Amino acid sequence: MIARAEPGRLPSSRLLGAKNTGLLGIGLGVLAFWLTLPPLTTRTVLWPLIFGLLAVAAGIWSTRRGGGRAGWSAVASGLLGITFGVLATRSSTAHLEEIVVWSALIASTLRYATPLTFAAIGGMFSERSGVVNIGLEGMMLMGSFFGVWGADKTNSWALGVLIAVVAGIALAFVHAVFTIHLRADQIVIGTAVNFLALGLTGYLFVSSYGAEGAPTAIPEIPDVSLGFLTDVYFVGPVFANLNLMIWLSFALLLLSYVVMFRTTIGLRIRAVGEHPRAADTVGISVYRTRYAAVMTSGALAALGGAYLSLGFVHTFDQNITGGRGFIALAALIFGKWRPFGAFAAALLFGFSSALGDRLPDYFAEGSAVPQLFNVLPYLLTIIAVAGVIGRSIPPRAIGRPYTKQ
Amino acid sequence: MEGAPLLDLRKITKRFPGVLANDRIDFDLGRNEVHALLGENGAGKSTLMNVLYGLYQPDEGEIRIKGESVRMHSPKDAIGRGIGMVHQHFMLIPVMTVAENVVLATEPTRAGMLLDYNAARKRVVEISRTFNFAINPDARVESITIGQQQRVEILKALYRGAEILILDEPTAVLTPQEATELFAILRTLVREGMSVIFISHKLNEVLEIADRITVLRRGKKIDTVPREGATEKGLARMMVGREVLLRVEKSQSQPGEPLLQVENLQVLDDRGLEAVRGVSFEVRAGEIVGIAGVDGNGQTELIDALTGLRRPKDGRIRVGDHEITRAGARDVIESGIGHIPEDRQRRGLVLEFTLAENLALEDYRYPPDSRFGWLFPRRMIARARLLLKEFDVRGGGPQTRAASLSGGNQQKVVIAREVARDPRVLLAAQPTRGLDVGAIEYVHRRLVETRDEKKAILLVSLELEEILSLSDRILVIYEGRIVAKRTPDVSEEELGIAMTGGQTGEAAA
Amino acid sequence: MTEAPTPAEPEGTIPSPAARLALYQRAGGFVTPLITTIFAFFIGGLVVLVVTGKNPISTYKAIFNGTGLNWLFPWISHDDRITAAFNLQATLLLTTTLILTGLAVAFAFRCGLFNIGGQGQYAIGSIVAVWVGSSFSGLAGIPHILLAIVLGSLAGAALAGIAGFLKATVGAHEVITTIMLNWILFWSAGYIFGLEGPLQDKTQASVPVSSNIAPDTHLHVFWGNPVLQGLHVGFFIALGALVAYWLLLNRTTLGYEVKAVGFNPEAARYAGIGVGRSIFLAMAISGLFAGLAGAVDVLGWQFHVGVDDIQGSSVGFIGIAVALLGRNSAPGIFFSALLFGALVNGTSTRNLDPEIFKPELAQNLTLMIQGLVLLFVGTDVLVLYLWRGRQRLMFWRKTEPPT
Repeated sequence: MIARAEPGRLPSSRLLGAKNTGLLGIGLGVLAFWLTLPPLTTRTVLWPLIFGLLAVAAGIWSTRRGGGRAGWSAVASGLLGITFGVLATRSSTAHLEEIVVWSALIASTLRYATPLTFAAIGGMFSERSGVVNIGLEGMMLMGSFFGVWGADKTNSWALGVLIAVVAGIALAFVHAVFTIHLRADQIVIGTAVNFLALGLTGYLFVSSYGAEGAPTAIPEIPDVSLGFLTDVYFVGPVFANLNLMIWLSFALLLLSYVVMFRTTIGLRIRAVGEHPRAADTVGISVYRTRYAAVMTSGALAALGGAYLSLGFVHTFDQNITGGRGFIALAALIFGKWRPFGAFAAALLFGFSSALGDRLPDYFAEGSAVPQLFNVLPYLLTIIAVAGVIGRSIPPRAIGRPYTKQ
Repeated sequence: MEGAPLLDLRKITKRFPGVLANDRIDFDLGRNEVHALLGENGAGKSTLMNVLYGLYQPDEGEIRIKGESVRMHSPKDAIGRGIGMVHQHFMLIPVMTVAENVVLATEPTRAGMLLDYNAARKRVVEISRTFNFAINPDARVESITIGQQQRVEILKALYRGAEILILDEPTAVLTPQEATELFAILRTLVREGMSVIFISHKLNEVLEIADRITVLRRGKKIDTVPREGATEKGLARMMVGREVLLRVEKSQSQPGEPLLQVENLQVLDDRGLEAVRGVSFEVRAGEIVGIAGVDGNGQTELIDALTGLRRPKDGRIRVGDHEITRAGARDVIESGIGHIPEDRQRRGLVLEFTLAENLALEDYRYPPDSRFGWLFPRRMIARARLLLKEFDVRGGGPQTRAASLSGGNQQKVVIAREVARDPRVLLAAQPTRGLDVGAIEYVHRRLVETRDEKKAILLVSLELEEILSLSDRILVIYEGRIVAKRTPDVSEEELGIAMTGGQTGEAAA
Repeated sequence: MTEAPTPAEPEGTIPSPAARLALYQRAGGFVTPLITTIFAFFIGGLVVLVVTGKNPISTYKAIFNGTGLNWLFPWISHDDRITAAFNLQATLLLTTTLILTGLAVAFAFRCGLFNIGGQGQYAIGSIVAVWVGSSFSGLAGIPHILLAIVLGSLAGAALAGIAGFLKATVGAHEVITTIMLNWILFWSAGYIFGLEGPLQDKTQASVPVSSNIAPDTHLHVFWGNPVLQGLHVGFFIALGALVAYWLLLNRTTLGYEVKAVGFNPEAARYAGIGVGRSIFLAMAISGLFAGLAGAVDVLGWQFHVGVDDIQGSSVGFIGIAVALLGRNSAPGIFFSALLFGALVNGTSTRNLDPEIFKPELAQNLTLMIQGLVLLFVGTDVLVLYLWRGRQRLMFWRKTEPPT
């Protein structure tokens, strides 16, 4: 380090700050596309073009003033808005109505995003405390299986979810012991944990239910029916019948934000993840904090897994998660290790899955082309870590075992 | 001092595998006192303080605070007993604000768990005002100066109600201006009722700030003396155990043609600030040019630029008539520059490699070590055997891992590699840092011998002694500029003044 | 702390993965991997006993007989020997693949990099190989084979090279990028061999699988029946790769550079070694091994590739366990590849007698054992504890005078 430093940055004007302008630009880009879709369905190229260009302009203005990622995102958003907007005006209105039934698409996006949200926020706790969690996939899988198993055995979805959480914590505990106390390489252990979960759930699944398949008629996590919303335009179809766990994920989002950035617990977790020695010297137990954080991540990932099996697909199959834990990891990184960032990324990835679900209408029966949509989360994450649209910077001590003196 | 002293360490003993770091050390501290702990690197100062701060458990001995015998199991215990420590490497979290760093782990809260940030910053402002710290509680630690970061560390201790403040080599990272400010702060603290343990190996500082001075040498306490009557010479004798006279036997230099020429060199540091601001000098064959200066005045960037690790912003570097201004590290080595880096473990050696492999670190790509990308390990080993003998490396053969050697022998390996390549120019950055006296003498002798073989040597060192005893000419670097040129018969005082940018020092920070 | 003494592993500093592995190598020789393996099998056996109530020993025995390793025993009957030979061929086929995917992990490790992307690199290798093998019909056998192998390997190298390049230039963590690349390949394969996909066999419109490669591109089978997946010469390619790996690391300047960067990138930089270049090359060479594995599998016994072949495969991941258990040494990788090859093959539906133990269960047991091996291998639990324990003991002897 060098002795001289610039003085503390001056706070820029709140309203016209570079970042806000960037955010505005992102909104404009989305607007450019949205105008061409039902219910408005503009048929002229003009509107998407105007709003898209405004978005790009705002983005450039923002990046010039240090808006960073928000600025670049605005530029990207504007360009995408123009592209999709123009494309949409070119296709027939009827076809659009058919595919983009907005409310259904959004509801579907939420369903796909929720397991990711749970797991990504779980991952945030672990990684913010300095422990890489490649094992999210395995922890989700534990939740998925033990949720079904528990619900089946106890005939109660609530107990099933509880058992799922316990199983997730148990696996996370293994991860924690090996990475924290025994100071093993966190990546190796994460990989090991995934293998363990895959083998264990598969073994128990075959052993309990035979090779024939999942139990039928297990209790499911109920939907929350908000009758008064049903007839409200647009809002009704989206929110009137969402699964309980989706609402829980919203609550978790707020809660995790408050815990991480507004409480002493969060401050200490972040301190441990940034500079464990410093935390240690003021009397914070690095080990205890990391144990708690990793086990929290196991619990949350398992909740995501339990939602997947008990609330979404209503069954279990070997390796049901199929890489969702890794998408959650991607969402976490893409969202810069922040709850709302991770949630936004989960929504984006969920949207791409939902779209991939609906797009086959465009293609021949059984076509594999929509599979390419699944690539999107991973591609975006590579772009994000490569720093093309603002680098994702991980907690400083991530991946490093801590040795007490 | 009436009654029991505030702090009393009795017969503290701490062993590490193969090392007796503290051997029955007694140490006490009174109220409103600055008690300096003086000793060379490795004398056991930091170990003793880590024992006091609960980071290490003593094998024997007793800690008494206000007459009460206590055990420190962790820093938490020490904090609870009113002890605060400012570590040499700051224990601050760069991405958090000053206030957050100060209150960490003892945060003011609302509703049980919510962090009360306003209360935190209010406390920080209060304490800063009491002790006259100028500090912005909302600034992120990574964006403030090192001197300010140190004050944040002191704030942390004060916030936790510390009565005893341990400062571990606090001036090592400071500019002279900042050091002066630190001393002013320490005096205020003592006036307000604090007691300070000041760890240092710098005699002049200790004599300036301390009330009493305890000298450690090789894990043993030598003596405790009051400042009155203590002299630099006397303290130095206690520290090293004999008259220090590091003047190296050497003949008058016979400088030849210039081998290293630097013109108007400008180099940026990691943050894009200009660290070297237009430096020009030359080093001729058969002379040692010493660059004296306080740490952080552009020496690192200068060396980086000269070794091809950092592209200069402007200026020229030439070796003989070969221009290397924009060359990479490999081209620089090939142009005939040898380099003894300042941190041998991090930069000089691959600790997991054998000595033979380390000795070949720059030659492996040429015959006879390799041909067309094919390596001949036996030839590497054979050559290593000769070099280890020639440079008197002890503790292992060609197939020994570098990590298992002592510091002095590791440095000999680095020197063997660099000198044996027969470079025209040798850059030596802090070549004796952390070495014992015997090894220092060896390194110095070797450098002079290399000089006498008509090489050009550029020595960059923070140790005035070393600069004075080795150099044929001395350049003083301050804030990235060469501010003075001297001959080695200059006095330490005069050099010291030049290094701090003149007596006033108003230009610092 | 400046004046802490230096024990075997300096406190407070984080050893690079490469340095850590070097420590493993010194610490235990082949004994610790052996103990690790036994321990993992022991716990796996416990699961079998507790969950299924089967006798683990007879279970393991059945699995062992499925591996074909009993072929080595002189006392088995003639009929058994025929079955065993058949099984052993299948085991060695897998060993071939695992040696190569293990090398892919090991080589990157030597440069301090964790290549978790062996799976994706393997996939792209087989995709390119099947593409080359099923097109270019004008080429004769051997050149066609060579082209498929070379392009398949290079594709693996290119994919891993992306991760290496990003690491070297912008510092993107290779673990993240290789994981993401794995999944990109996973889904891309679904498209490439899926319906309407570019490499899907148009003659069978509803099957998500590629065309067959030309018959003269099949690798020569030197042991067993060519139709029933006998052992092909790819086995020798893998053995050759082991030798190449050792030579590359210990007898070339490139290997020297890669190791120097792995142990201490900063010192390497000071010595004029191109750190970025070494990182890129180490990743690319890693990918080369994995891509080669994919190509060899396609030309040796798969002959066509389907979506399920890619999406259901885990040889790249097993490579991680192979490399770690094999301590990144060439002989170690051979034996651990043999172990995992045998384990996977012995628990396959084809080889395990369902009367004794259900293959579906056994396959999951294999996954668990892999996980356990990784867990113990990746840990200081056995190795470092024993290592440190010995040191503590020696220290204790030195400092405590007899009373």
